[in-house]
Amino acid sequence: MNMLPFLQARKELDSDLFLHRMLLPPHAVILAGFNSLIDLPQTILMLQQQAQSAVAVDNPLLALGSGIGSAMKDPTERTIWDAIAEGHLVVLSESSDRCIKIVPVGRSLSRAIESPSTENVLRGAISAFNEDLDTNIGLVKKHMLSEQLRIRPYIFGQDQRRRTVLLYMEGKVHEHLLRSILRKIESRKATDIPDLQALSDLLGFPKWTLFTRFNTTELPQDAAYALRNGKAVLLLDRFPFAVVLPSLLSDMYISENDRNSPSVFRLFFQVLRILGILTNILMPGLYVALVSVNPEVLRIELALSIAGSREGVPYPALIETLLMLFVLELTLESSIRLPKSIGPTITMIGGIILGQAVVQAKLVSNILIIVLAATTIANFTVIGFHNANAIRLYKYLLLVLSAMYGVLGLFVGIVLICAYLGHVNSFGIPYLSRWKTGGRNG
Amino acid sequence: MTKSAIRLALLSALTAVTLTLSGCWDIKDINHRALPILMGIKQIDQDYKVFLLVPQAGQNNMNLNVISEAGDTINEALDDINKNTERKVDLLHLKVIVFERSFAEKGLEESIASFMRARDIPNKTFAAISDGELEPLFEKLKTSSASGGLEIYNYFEKNAGWTPDVAQTRIWEVYRSINSYTRDVVIPMIKPGHTTPIMSTGGAIIKNGKMVGSIDSEEALLYNLFKGMGTHGKIEVMNQAAVKIVSGRLSQSSRMDGDQPVMNSRLRLKVTVLETRGSTAEAEIKHEIDEMLSMRYRKMLRASQDKEADILGFGQYFRGKLSRDDLQSWRSIYYPRMKLNFRVQVLIQDEGLLKTRR
Amino acid sequence: MDKSRQVVVMYLISHIGLIFFLYPADIIASLSVGHWSAILFGFVCHVAMLAIFTKGLGCFDALNVIDIFQGVGKIFAFFTLLPVLLYFVMILIIAVRAYSEIVTEIFLGETPLWTIMLLFVAVSTFISLLGIESIFRTGVLVALLFLPLLLFVLVLSFQNADWHYVLPLIDRQAASFSYVIGRPYLQSLFAFVGGFMFLGFVPSHVPFKGRYVVGASFLLLPMFLVSVYVPLLTFGENTASRFPFPFIMAVDTVSISWLMFDRVTMFFMLSLICFLLLFLALVMWNTIQMLKRGLPFIRPAAANILLAALVLVFCLLIPNWQLVERLLWWNTSLRLYAAIVIPCLTLALGMRHRRKGVVQP
Repeated sequence: MNMLPFLQARKELDSDLFLHRMLLPPHAVILAGFNSLIDLPQTILMLQQQAQSAVAVDNPLLALGSGIGSAMKDPTERTIWDAIAEGHLVVLSESSDRCIKIVPVGRSLSRAIESPSTENVLRGAISAFNEDLDTNIGLVKKHMLSEQLRIRPYIFGQDQRRRTVLLYMEGKVHEHLLRSILRKIESRKATDIPDLQALSDLLGFPKWTLFTRFNTTELPQDAAYALRNGKAVLLLDRFPFAVVLPSLLSDMYISENDRNSPSVFRLFFQVLRILGILTNILMPGLYVALVSVNPEVLRIELALSIAGSREGVPYPALIETLLMLFVLELTLESSIRLPKSIGPTITMIGGIILGQAVVQAKLVSNILIIVLAATTIANFTVIGFHNANAIRLYKYLLLVLSAMYGVLGLFVGIVLICAYLGHVNSFGIPYLSRWKTGGRNG
Repeated sequence: MTKSAIRLALLSALTAVTLTLSGCWDIKDINHRALPILMGIKQIDQDYKVFLLVPQAGQNNMNLNVISEAGDTINEALDDINKNTERKVDLLHLKVIVFERSFAEKGLEESIASFMRARDIPNKTFAAISDGELEPLFEKLKTSSASGGLEIYNYFEKNAGWTPDVAQTRIWEVYRSINSYTRDVVIPMIKPGHTTPIMSTGGAIIKNGKMVGSIDSEEALLYNLFKGMGTHGKIEVMNQAAVKIVSGRLSQSSRMDGDQPVMNSRLRLKVTVLETRGSTAEAEIKHEIDEMLSMRYRKMLRASQDKEADILGFGQYFRGKLSRDDLQSWRSIYYPRMKLNFRVQVLIQDEGLLKTRR
Repeated sequence: MDKSRQVVVMYLISHIGLIFFLYPADIIASLSVGHWSAILFGFVCHVAMLAIFTKGLGCFDALNVIDIFQGVGKIFAFFTLLPVLLYFVMILIIAVRAYSEIVTEIFLGETPLWTIMLLFVAVSTFISLLGIESIFRTGVLVALLFLPLLLFVLVLSFQNADWHYVLPLIDRQAASFSYVIGRPYLQSLFAFVGGFMFLGFVPSHVPFKGRYVVGASFLLLPMFLVSVYVPLLTFGENTASRFPFPFIMAVDTVSISWLMFDRVTMFFMLSLICFLLLFLALVMWNTIQMLKRGLPFIRPAAANILLAALVLVFCLLIPNWQLVERLLWWNTSLRLYAAIVIPCLTLALGMRHRRKGVVQP
């Protein structure tokens, strides 16, 4: 009873809180909860049904306490508040001092299970994760009905209290990996996780890194596959994707979906993706190196035709490439934010008119447009949107080195990138390692 | 110092360094370079005159320019050319170097050596000798160019217009022959054609870098046969028929008969019949080819033995049989004495789309 | 965890990076006929020393050379390893200077030498700062990317070979092995010996089995033969002996009409330079290991950068190619020491250790 003034005071500050008086014969009770999280009419109906079925027993409150909710012993303001904030319904008895916490009929605040937005699936299950943690866990369980699956819940942070769940397969997961993750998680339960970078900090990964140490996936089947392979999966509430630890180089070109096709095609696609990665990183640098510094490498016909196409372009090849890359990056970035109605128009303007007009105005050579178009297309042949972003930056490094040193700079840049790849590791597992069944690099 | 201050200093140092370093030395865009494909050299008294055929690429068309300068050495002439053109002359795409005949007769050793030493002239450039003066050749090439001056290039390129009666020799092969005990080369001779830009007039025998004689086109075909350069698609005309050589295989063996080297060569030819005059039998055709080729062959060999120039590279087959010191005098002592047994075996693969009398 | 595969790959690519540039010229200069005997002789010496060294290392359980020698006595370790330290530093200087010169000569004509040297030193330092396991992993990745290219060019380089140049096979001078003490031949040994010292320094971090390395060294024999015989077959001995880089000239004569690029030489040499960068990083790491023991008060990262600066300064002081050749000659004595004394010592210590281990219950 002494909770009531507290709740009424809170209601002044938070109009979402409701205090509803109800009669559950023979007691009068007050229901407290958040309107935005609880579907009140349904809940009241449920309570009345419960009360009616408990009529045979004499004390409905006791029935309530042992049936659909749990009694709160010595409730403090803090515990009541936590219970309400989690979406529960608190039933306060007017006559006595008892509080009962009930799981009500909640509002459905998550969308239905839809197809993924950043990944495309051919020949595979298309349901994607959504924001609700329990739905996600259920989806993973559907794909992975194994008795070795272990699920550990955690709650992070003070302000946000994000529910998180760690999944792994007992016996298949790497012991060392699991131990490191657990150590990190359990020592930092008080930190908030508002975004993935905070998660990365929490797991102890360096801030200024060019590779994310974990993969994100929107597909439950990929998460299940990762679990089967001995990786650990984290599911966070309100994040519609699963976080897979650790991430490896082979994740860029090996996809679960490939296994739905025969081996020959699987190999073909893997090789294609690797060539795509190489094309994306090397092409602009190669163009600048061959046109500006080392044209003797080209055949004479090609050299003459490139020279002809660059006739009248006022600045050196490096600037020309940087300019067009800048425009392409702007186009890519803006296409993410365009509303669906304007999107196609802008694409047409950017792609066709800009490309055509800029060549006719002799601002860039048309061979460069071809090169950059190939580069941009190749950028997205990698698996995983975060990986595509990761390799977007490397071509600039190679571009600068090629401008300085020609084809030598290009090759040295490749060595530098390989060295960096060799160095990156998550929890001591190197990025380039061969992971049990998959992977090419040892 | 705080960590962020150090980081800031490092970053600005790196950026400054990159900015000053980038693009300073070797960057010269491809449209600011002149890429000559043909170089001609003649000698006037003690001076050299160098000609360059330079394609100039526009957006939709291609022009050709002829640039020439004179100087005390070839390099000086090239420097002068570089000085006087608005683009940097880049010799790395050079495809053919043409020497004037008089220059070749004086001796090409030094120029070839300096071409091999130069790091910007590729050593797989073709060598050619111009039968007359260089100026008319360059003029003809410039005015009749349709595909941007690549005629001279395609003339020697195996995948384009090259035919097996034009010898194909590169600068490094000439250099090799200058220093070798056992090998000499044949350089094709060209001059401006009547209805085509270039006409071939046979080949020049080069011994130790000096032109000592010449062979005609038919002998050049034999020369190519000996080098193993596919006689694919070559027309051979005799009194009775014309055949096309489909494939030719040469097997040679060597032995020393006391002090005289003896070479046994057998040429197996597969031909198809293209044209017949009257009604000729197959056996007659085969006999004719054998006789004709052997005669031509002996004539060529005799001429080169007189000049002590081992153009067909027979010395290579005696490397295991003579000691290295003896090999040194191969050209002067052993080669003129060499006896050659040559036979041609002809197989008529088919007769085209008509039948012949058997 | 056995990382033999990584070690083998690293071993192969360090040697390949060293073979194709300077080795053919030295061998062709040391004799005029019968080069295959010279190559085989060098190779046999190399395999023998390698086998001795790895056997000695195998007697100890994951201990590197420094630890082994320090087990006898600190002074002993200091005096035996000091020449090796000098040898490594000299290799760094010579390699950086020589290869920058080659790069300037062959593709980048206008770029000043110091920028190229700065590039090599900076990249090698960066890679060696990342640690030995990263170096090995990088080595494997780089090998995967570039070895196919290399093999492709090697196969193509036979395009202009005239096999008659193989004869005559041998003559009196070659059969008498009199060339072995000649200067060009001793200088050519750098391609053999330069590479395997690193095996002594890595077992503490990267364990491996010696017999795989010895087995893999047989893969190198064709490379050695090819690097000398391709120029010999293409040009003949007379002409080939006039070139300072005969193999590169031979690859330059190859003309392929169906490839988009005109000069395949360039890609070939660039792959070799990438292998060289890894080799330099490895040598730098070895030197730092030794310095760490000798001067424990310097932080390894700082020592690395200091070493890089030192190498760069020395390289800048060398004005021309003659001095580089002279330095190579001086380094030969250090190299012979490192190649012969260290493996034998290691084996001796290893045998002693094993005997001691057997005796004690």
